[in-house]
Amino acid sequence: MGSVGFTLPWEHRISPVTREGESRVEPSELEVGQNRAGGWNPEDAALAAGCLAGDMRAYERLYQLQGARMRNLARNLLGMASDAEDAVQETFLKVQRGVASYRGQSSFVTWVFRILVNTCHDVRRSRMRRKEQQQDESEERAKQAEPRAPGTHPALRLALERALEELTQHQRDVFLLYEVEGFRHAEIAGMLEISETASKNTLFQAKKNLRGMLEPPRSQAAGGRQ
Amino acid sequence: MRADCTDRERIFRDGTREEWAELERHAETCAACADEIRGWKVLSVAASELRNHREDPALWTRIERSLVEQREKGVSGPTVWDKLSFWRVVSVGWQTALAGALVLVLALAGGYVYRHRNVRDDAADGRLLKSSTLAEVQRTEREYMKAIDKLAMDAKPQLDSASSPLMASYREKLMVIDGAISELRAEAGQNPSNAHLRYQLLAMYQEKQQTLEEVLETKQ
Repeated sequence: MGSVGFTLPWEHRISPVTREGESRVEPSELEVGQNRAGGWNPEDAALAAGCLAGDMRAYERLYQLQGARMRNLARNLLGMASDAEDAVQETFLKVQRGVASYRGQSSFVTWVFRILVNTCHDVRRSRMRRKEQQQDESEERAKQAEPRAPGTHPALRLALERALEELTQHQRDVFLLYEVEGFRHAEIAGMLEISETASKNTLFQAKKNLRGMLEPPRSQAAGGRQ
Repeated sequence: MRADCTDRERIFRDGTREEWAELERHAETCAACADEIRGWKVLSVAASELRNHREDPALWTRIERSLVEQREKGVSGPTVWDKLSFWRVVSVGWQTALAGALVLVLALAGGYVYRHRNVRDDAADGRLLKSSTLAEVQRTEREYMKAIDKLAMDAKPQLDSASSPLMASYREKLMVIDGAISELRAEAGQNPSNAHLRYQLLAMYQEKQQTLEEVLETKQ
């Protein structure tokens, strides 16, 4: 796969100082079962029971625990902050409508994120049906660009966002869920209704494709890469 | 275990922590693997650029309002389908088998109810038909008798006063008819459902009516 015109000088992209939460650099770095925000945590069953009982505090707690991550995932899947907020709101409404059908086959949070991912896909499909121009989306996205944490690399972020758009839907979902949101493959498998192996393979393919798009041509890279 | 260049993609795909450590050890003496590992890790670090878990209380206010609105509309409660959602947990094979068994049970139960209800209904309908028909026949008969008695009262002066052989013949005929009517009514009283007796009785009444009409016509 060749570069698509948004490559960056490879050695200038990443700050040597990693921020908090950036520890995930290889697939098996974290052991299964290790506590991770939003994973299999002790509050999961209580959240599910509270939501089932219609307790608004349970929904609020769910938002406190997962709202920011849900919003971030939706923002990365949809590109626009306003669409992301709509998708998160719609997800909460769907959870309220469908919580009685939750059977505990996966964690409650996994179930909620599955709804969110499907809602985002619906939004994307409906957006495609409306035949919105790619250019309009980019302009809109630029207008609604959110302020990011200081010390980040806006050029790298933009390049990665554009490269992600070139991936397949599945590859984009898995990359964002694993690398950005920090879910485990078992959780991603539950969310996307695929096998854990498929999740690993999809992530591998996604990263391989992203490297192909983001790396400069071999001739420009220093050090004679293979 | 010692990792080398041939293990690289496999470890990238699904390597354990120990395998990654081995690969990195190998990369210390392999420029190609070192480059690949760096490029691979860079993607993970770059992904953090897309992470912005900033709190947004305003969004919760909006969500809460919509949740309350939806609850007030009454759509939050479990629907019938939700209550039946356990069905989805069962495998397709078992779903098919259970559906087949349910259809069979419903068919048998329906057939049983239909069959027994029909028998009961037939019997009931028969009784009702007979009793209602009999009542109607008896009512009509009483009215018919009243009408004929009235006709007989009209013809009585003519029959009593006239001494012609024709009238004498009519009187005899009417006595025979009345006798036959009395016998038939007695039999019909014992067996009120006997339609044949009713037809005979009706024929006698018609005969008496016709005779009385002839008597009255003779008078005129």
